[in-house]
Amino acid sequence: MVRASLAVACAAALMTAAAAAAPGAAPHYTLDQAKSSLEFAFTQAGALNKGHFGRFPVTMDFSADNLAASRLEVAVDVNSLDTGDKDRDDTLRGADLLSVSKFPQAQFSAAQIVKTATGFEASGKLTIRGVTRDTRVPFSFRTASEQGAAVGYMSGKVTIRRLDFGVGQGEWKATDQVGNEVTVSFALRLISATH
Amino acid sequence: MVIQNTTRRWGALSQLLHWTIVVLIIVQVTLAYLADDLPNGMRKLTLLARHKSFGITILALVILRLVWRRLNDTPTLPETLKPYERFLARITHGALYVLLFAMPLSGWMMSSARGFPVSWFGFIQLPDLVPKSKPLYDFFVTTHETLAWTLGAVVTLHVAAALKHHFVLKDDTLRRMLPFTGKKERI
Repeated sequence: MVRASLAVACAAALMTAAAAAAPGAAPHYTLDQAKSSLEFAFTQAGALNKGHFGRFPVTMDFSADNLAASRLEVAVDVNSLDTGDKDRDDTLRGADLLSVSKFPQAQFSAAQIVKTATGFEASGKLTIRGVTRDTRVPFSFRTASEQGAAVGYMSGKVTIRRLDFGVGQGEWKATDQVGNEVTVSFALRLISATH
Repeated sequence: MVIQNTTRRWGALSQLLHWTIVVLIIVQVTLAYLADDLPNGMRKLTLLARHKSFGITILALVILRLVWRRLNDTPTLPETLKPYERFLARITHGALYVLLFAMPLSGWMMSSARGFPVSWFGFIQLPDLVPKSKPLYDFFVTTHETLAWTLGAVVTLHVAAALKHHFVLKDDTLRRMLPFTGKKERI
């Protein structure tokens, strides 16, 4: 009797492990653009200036129990940037800064997501203005069930250096007026495709 | 040199504040004039950042000046002034103080309304005084410019009066705001 229940327990454990390792077992999410934000902040003349992007499709496979099958893809429509001032926006879009006509899209592609003490961290390639750099993006993730639909709330913040990506050519290479560090923060509402 | 004012002469602190503000106003006009013609870019950004920082400096110095004025004597106007001249002198000085307050404040509000927060030389970021708004911005641009021309007119009157006292009336009105011109005196 004891032996039988042990066998059942082992089998159950094996099945759970198999399910965890099975590819494609992480739910697939897409972005709820209207209820998500992607913001950036930088210092200009010593003062913090903020802006956001209006369009940045996200696709994500994520399960806290199956990080091996989890991945994250973000494509940012750089032209959708908005700092609330047309002159500043046009300057940012210009050839010496984000050069949107040549590089209309910025991307983050992470195939590796790991658990950290405070949440998760996606390690991947961040491409801005045609320059790709290895970047780690820490984030928190929680799931919720809203009117029968499974949704995920993902948020986090990462600080990048604009000059690492060539954002700042010519006179904009100087960092005394426009700081090198740009803080990118996001709060995403993701909708599960499988609900 | 005496730090405090007397009823006959401006003290060292009042003189220092007066002439520092004079220099800063000249710097401000120059920066505004240079930045005005520039296309958007790093140079314009830098000049305007300095313009804002110096403007905030003037605001602080004017507050200090008014506090200091309250704390000690003010030199009396010359006995020779006619009543309307006394009135004009008070109006002019009052207008100068009001304008020295209103100029930086309207500039600060103009920046806030535009969505460009003001920083003091990159050391302190100042709070936004008004919400971001296009109509407010347009209003404060007009206000800032109008005040600038008004200040120019009042300063011209102020300088003309000071020179008249010095060269025409030959009294010590101008001298008592100048350093190293006071006779040795005991208060």
